[in-house]
Parts: sequence; structure tokens; C-alpha cells
Amino acid sequence: MDFALYAPYNPNTREPVPYIRSPMKILMLGWEYPPHIAGGLGTACQGLTTALANQGIDIHFVVPQLFGNEQAAHMSLFDAEKRLAVGSQDPGPISQPVTVATGVPTSRIPAFLTPYWSPEQFKDALAAITHQHVASLNPALRKDPIARALIDGEICGIDLLTALEHEQPILRATDGKSSGRYGSDIFEEVERFTMQVVSRFANDQFDVIHAHDWMTFPAGVALSESTGRPLVVHIHSLEHDRSGLLVNPQINEIERFGLSQADKIVAVSYFTKRSIEIHHHIPGRKISVVHNGVYAQEVGTEARSRKSWPKHVVLFLGRVTFQKGPDYFVEVASKVIPHIPDVLFVLAGTGDMLPAVKERVRQLNLSDNFMFPGFTQGDELEELFSVADLYVMPSVSEPFGITALEAISFDTPVIISKQSGVSEVIEHALKVDFWDVDRMADLIINALQHPELRHDLAAMAREELKRLHWDAAALKTIEVYQDVSREDPATWR
Amino acid sequence: MEIGSPPGRETMPAVCLYFQVHQPYRLNRYSYFDIGSDKEYFDTELNRSIIQKVSERCYVPTNRHLLQLIRRYKGAFKVTFSITGTAVEQMKRWAPEALSSFQELAATGCVDFLGETYYHSLAALYDKDEWCEQVGLHSEMMAREFGVRPTVFRNTELLYSDEIGRAAAALGFSGILAEGIDDVLGWRSPNFVYRVPETETKVLLRNHKLSDEIGFRFVSHKDGDGRSLTAKRYASWIHSLTGNADLVGLFLDYETFGEHLGKDTGIFEFLNDLPASVLAHQDWRFSTAGEAAEHLQASSELSFPRLTSWADISRDDSTWRGNRMQNSSLLRTYDRSEFSGQVDCLQESTRSMVETWRRLQTSDHYYYMSTKGGGDGVVHQYFSPFESPYDAFISFSNVMKDFTRRCRECQAMEPLPVVGRVEEIFGIYQGGEK
Repeated sequence: MDFALYAPYNPNTREPVPYIRSPMKILMLGWEYPPHIAGGLGTACQGLTTALANQGIDIHFVVPQLFGNEQAAHMSLFDAEKRLAVGSQDPGPISQPVTVATGVPTSRIPAFLTPYWSPEQFKDALAAITHQHVASLNPALRKDPIARALIDGEICGIDLLTALEHEQPILRATDGKSSGRYGSDIFEEVERFTMQVVSRFANDQFDVIHAHDWMTFPAGVALSESTGRPLVVHIHSLEHDRSGLLVNPQINEIERFGLSQADKIVAVSYFTKRSIEIHHHIPGRKISVVHNGVYAQEVGTEARSRKSWPKHVVLFLGRVTFQKGPDYFVEVASKVIPHIPDVLFVLAGTGDMLPAVKERVRQLNLSDNFMFPGFTQGDELEELFSVADLYVMPSVSEPFGITALEAISFDTPVIISKQSGVSEVIEHALKVDFWDVDRMADLIINALQHPELRHDLAAMAREELKRLHWDAAALKTIEVYQDVSREDPATWR
Repeated sequence: MEIGSPPGRETMPAVCLYFQVHQPYRLNRYSYFDIGSDKEYFDTELNRSIIQKVSERCYVPTNRHLLQLIRRYKGAFKVTFSITGTAVEQMKRWAPEALSSFQELAATGCVDFLGETYYHSLAALYDKDEWCEQVGLHSEMMAREFGVRPTVFRNTELLYSDEIGRAAAALGFSGILAEGIDDVLGWRSPNFVYRVPETETKVLLRNHKLSDEIGFRFVSHKDGDGRSLTAKRYASWIHSLTGNADLVGLFLDYETFGEHLGKDTGIFEFLNDLPASVLAHQDWRFSTAGEAAEHLQASSELSFPRLTSWADISRDDSTWRGNRMQNSSLLRTYDRSEFSGQVDCLQESTRSMVETWRRLQTSDHYYYMSTKGGGDGVVHQYFSPFESPYDAFISFSNVMKDFTRRCRECQAMEPLPVVGRVEEIFGIYQGGEK
């Protein structure tokens, strides 16, 4: 699809032309905002709102908590107490900026964190499902308590294990004032956010309410009912994607409630749209697909010389959980290594399956060809992306899969599972069913043996990345806003 | 001078209708883990079903129409074909009725057949010996199957350069086909006959505008009643060239009839009405490529500053050599050292190896690896049996690895020089050379 068709450009300045003349005002409900993010949700909200603001949309964005160093000059960013972030746009005399002392100890679990239960609850609840997956890897690990520890729903490798290593996990970022109980119960936190949003924002003027993921759905629905404004809910990931068979029924119910009450639903991929149709029985005509964008980065290649790496590096990066298919990564490695001995498989990230995966690597006698750097970020992450000859994403279920786009931005070619949203927007990738280990090995061997294949893949994918900008996502989102503004909401319900 | 010719012209202007008939041996999806196994390189089932489908929809019905037209116009309607060896082989094996319908056309005397490489290969760009040999093999096959020796040549996909033109001239061909590209022609018209520099061999040009009106824009010409382009309207465009043309080259993929354009588009009605519509103007007639090369005067020499073809928007070699995968695959295919000289070996026991090597040279394999986007990409994807250009490259590479392995296994064989064979095949042409 040629996204340029959607974007009206000024032929002289080459700048996008604002799509709408009279500014549409959107009240957006989110759960996190950069730099205080645990994963993809905050980043996606930043990208989307920036592009929407470029199109002339007036956005008031509400998150439960602010830290004082948020930068959001393109919109007005509030916390649930309606205090305005310092680095954001002042909408007028409706609120007071909030300043938060730095250095307040905060430890947090990612926003997507599945059930937000206590560690004990995590372990108990996971036993059933982990048992199944651990057993499939190694019978000896079945009873390993660590192997049963649970995971969150993050995109980039933060998980409960990481959190446990640091502090006693608490619900999410907090300055210690808003909650005396530090949110040991996510549902309490969601409820509090709902009450605050309704009491403080219900009298504001806006055209559409836009709520991101299930945590903000109750607030979105309540606000929509009290104001009569249409509600758009945005699905970045479903409980079903995050948890596989171990769906938390309460979250599932909140999700379903928000989806059924919304006037229109935005899904980050057709893959997610189908999941919504199947798991929540929502008619497809109510769901619009808006693929995430990406800001292509220019990255130097000096990272490669920092350390001596083996001839071939194949990278997996993500939570080491059922959803991401790390076990398939190991199985495929065992088929590749006999044919390409000088290859290093890097499995970066942590998660409940990590111990079992490591044990499986030992069992297959592949330890010399494997590296487990754990959760990585910053320079270390950049180095991994730039030294990798190939990025492999064997996800079992992936609503979008932004890491594949990151890899491409480092000129690293990607192998992605067909069960991912990103495979809908990137044509120039090697695509494979996650379970087809032989095929995946065939692709990896050929990619490692043929630099020309890697070159053509990376060069073409990079061109695709340029077209995948947030402007296209913003224009499609605006279409959704216009739809719900026109429609009688009753016809959707 | 013939009656009806405009003053100063020696001949009546003519339309040269030429149809390309080609089918490759498509590859199986061949995994790295199939290397060393007995798995077939070529997808027999797919190839059988495609040639049968195309025969049923295109070859047999279109040939029937042409046969009727030739009989009806008693020599005034003529066409030219070029049929690859790989297409003839597959027809013989899986669609004999199609082959016999071509043979029936050949027997009318109103059908000319062009020479080309037997395997529809890119050998002209990599290996002149191999190219000569394939042209010779094709010529022998045409004599055997259709009782004709081609006198005019068309290189694979109309890939043309001065060098290729001279090579065809050296083999004794009286004419060669090329794309009439604006940037090569400059102020000159594609509707005249030219000469390969420093030879007597004529260059017959494709009028790409008029050819593509049928090949690509036929259905977009719908009139008010929803009918596609009519032959009458089309002939009026040709007639408008009267006085400014010797030869209008309408060069088409034969599958345009019935396959790319289904019978419901009205393409067969168009074909049926075309001879009468063209001949309705007393100046115009039909000519085969052979007649045109023999009888028409070349207006001048024509030098091509670049490699051209009839493919894609760029009309060059980028369709097969546009990315690194394609270039490295081609270099590997034509690197005889890779095969330890075994493909040169023409002993009976290794003939099948040579044949396999040649089937792997068919340009379609490299075409499937094209990563071009836009309209060209859509066309490439239409033809490709693979999910993506990368899949095409991977299967091809795995096959080449296995093929190289098999070549090494039969290293005990004594290779024979290839040169003697070329001379033997081209003995017939040597006499025609000065």
C-alpha cells in the first residue's frame, strides 16, 4: 500500500498539510508516557499523538501518574488529578502544573503486566500452563519453581523476574502519595483512575474519547456515558495474546466490556482484528486497522567493532515467554549449527521460559553457540541489533511486533512469523509459520550463506520503513474520529 | 513498385504480428535439507498443469482462430511465432494437441518461426559459446518439429545490444527483433526497418505503443457500450501511419489471447476482426518477420547505446539483473568452474546434467527473484510460483548447491570441448556467411 496517497503534502515545502481545518479535540486515556515506559504502549502513544497533532488535532492526554520530566509539547498531558505535565502544552487556565521531586524511589512493573498479581499468585496460576511448556522442553524442569515464575506482557523483555531481582514489585509508577497500598491490586488502580477521570474531565469540551488498552476502558466507557461523547478504544495487545491459555477472566471481561461499549475499535493489525472478532465476538465492521508507525533512525555501524563477534550472529530479542516462541528459536538453532558451525545464537530477554530454554540448549549440547545476555537496553541493545546478521521473531502470537521494525532500522534483515501484525506491513522479510522449524532453518542457513540475500532484504525493507511513518496512522485514526462523530453511536452497539 | 504504394515508397506498409510462446520448467520449493536427496528440481505437477491450462485456454483455441483466418484470407493474413524448446518439450509431453495445432499452422505456409535460444536463457549476456549452442539446438528442433529453419532471430525477452545483433548476423540470420524504444530511436520511427551496424542483418522493431494497446491496455479501452477495444478502431490507428511506415511490429506474448485476457474480454473477437480491419485500407498488408527482413530496405544503420528488452517499464535487463540475488545467481549459473567443467561434458552419461544446467538457465528463474515494486512488481508476482523473490532465490540456490554437488560426483568423466559441437550445429549457417 502506498501510504503517500493518504497524506496531502504541500508541494513547495514537502510538509504534510493539516488534514482538518477546525481543530478536533480528543480526550485520550493512556497508562504510560515516555520516558517512563515499560514497553511499546507509551512509545506508540507518543508516536500517534505527535502525528495527530501535526494534522491539527487538539489532544488532552491523561495518564494515571506523571513524573515531572515528560516532554509532550504537541499536546496537553495530564495526570488523573488533572495536573499538567511541565513539558506539555498549556491548554489555558484549567489546571496547575505538577512538579514531582526527583529521586523518589519508584519501582514498577510494566503496564501490560498481565494479571498484576502477587508473586505467589503468579507462581500458582502459572503452574498449569508452564507445566505444559516446560514439560515439552525438559521433564527435569517441571518442578523448578523459577521456571514457573510468571511473566508480564511487555514487548521488550522486562518481566516479573527482572522486577523481582530489584525491588519488591509494586503495581506501577507511583510517587507514594496517590495510593497507600501501592496498588497490590491492579483492579483497584484501574477503578481509581476511572473515578478520577470522570470526576475531573467530564465537564471538559471534547469531540471524541480515545482509550488505549483495557486498563483505560472503564474510564473511557464511564466518561462516554456521562458526556454522551463517542468512544474509540485502541487495542495494542489483547489479554489473549499476552497470556495464551492462561487468560485472566477479570481482565478479559473488562476488555470485552470496553470493546462492546465502544463506538469504534482501532486494532494495531489485521491479526489483532481477527483475534478481537474470534475471542470477543465483535463484528469486523466495527474494527478499523491502524498499523503502528516507526521513526527510522540513522545508526552507525561502529558498534560491530566494539567487541569481537563470531562470523554469524542470529538474534532473538523479547520476553522469553510462550508468546514469543523462544523454544522454536532453540530448535531451529539445533538444525542450523551442524551446517554453519561458526554461528552465535543470541537469545536476549528474560521470562518464565528462560531456565527451561537454557536447559534445552545444554541438553542439545549447543552452549558454545548460544549467548544469553538477559534483558538488554541502551547501547547494549544497539550493539546487538547492529552486529546481528539476522533478527528472528518466531512469535506464536504477535499483535504487532515493533522490534522487527527496530531491527530493520539497524539494517538487519528479519525473519518473522506469519502470526504477527508486522508481517502485514513489511513485505521484504522472510516469513514463516512459527511451528515450521525446518523451513525457518532453511531460511537462516541461506541468509547466512548468502550476503546478497541479506543485502537485498535489508535494503528493500529499509525503503518500506520510510513509508511506514506515523502520519499514515494519524490520517487513518482521524478517519475513525470522523466516523464516530458522524454516526449515531446507538447503531454500533 | 506495387500498385497502391505512395510515391517514393517501394513497398506497401505491412503489419508484422509476432507471438511469443514460452513455458519454463518451474522449480520445486527446494529446501537446504533436500540437498543430497533425490528430490526433483522441477515441479512436474505444476508444470504439467500450467501447460495444460494454457494450452486449453490459449494455444489450442487461438491457433484454431488463426488457422481459420489464414484459410479465409488465402495468404493475405500471416503471422510469426517464436516457440522455445522448453515449451515444445512440455507440449509434447503433456499437451500434444497444442503442439499439433502449431504444426498445422506451420503447414499453411503463412506462418513464420523465429530462432531463439532453446532454453529461453540469458546466455547471450554471459557465455557466447553456450548461447550459440542453444541457438543451434533451437534451430534443429524447429526443423525437426515444424519443418522450418528460422531466418530471423529474437533473443530472450527481446534483450538486444549491438553486440547481440552482430552475433546473430554472424550466425547468418537475416533479421533480428528489438524493442522500439524512444530513447534509443531519438527522432527515428520504430515503423521502419534498420540494419545492425556493419552487417546486412535487419533490425525489426516492436511498436511498443500499439503492441501494448493490446497486451496491457485492451480492457481499459472500453467504449460507451462497455465493449473492449474493437479491431476497427485499432486498425484506424495503424492506418493513420500510412505514408510514414514500412512495418508496424506488433510483438505480443501469445498468452495475451485467452490467458492474460480471458475470452470474456472480447480478445478473440478482436483477433477475428483484425485482418479485415487492417486490410480494409488498400495500402496495408500483413508480413511475416522473414519476409520483412528479406524484402524491406533498411533505412539506415541503427546503433543501440544500451542493452534493451521488452520487459517492465525500464525496458532493460533490470528485470533479471536488478538486484544482488539475481546477479549472484546468474554468475553462479554461468561459472563453469563451479561445475568442474562437467557441464561441458557431452558424453551420453552426462547429457542429462547438461540439460539440467540449461533448464536452470531459463530467464524465468531470475525473473522470479526480482524485488521491483509498483506495476512491474505486480506483474512479476502474477507469474511467479513462489511466495516472494526471496523464496525464489532460496529454492534456486539450494538447487544449485545440489547440482554442483552432483557435478563433482561425476568428475571421473572426461570432458569434451564444447567448440566442435558448435561448429557442427552451425555448419548450415557457415555457408551463408561471407
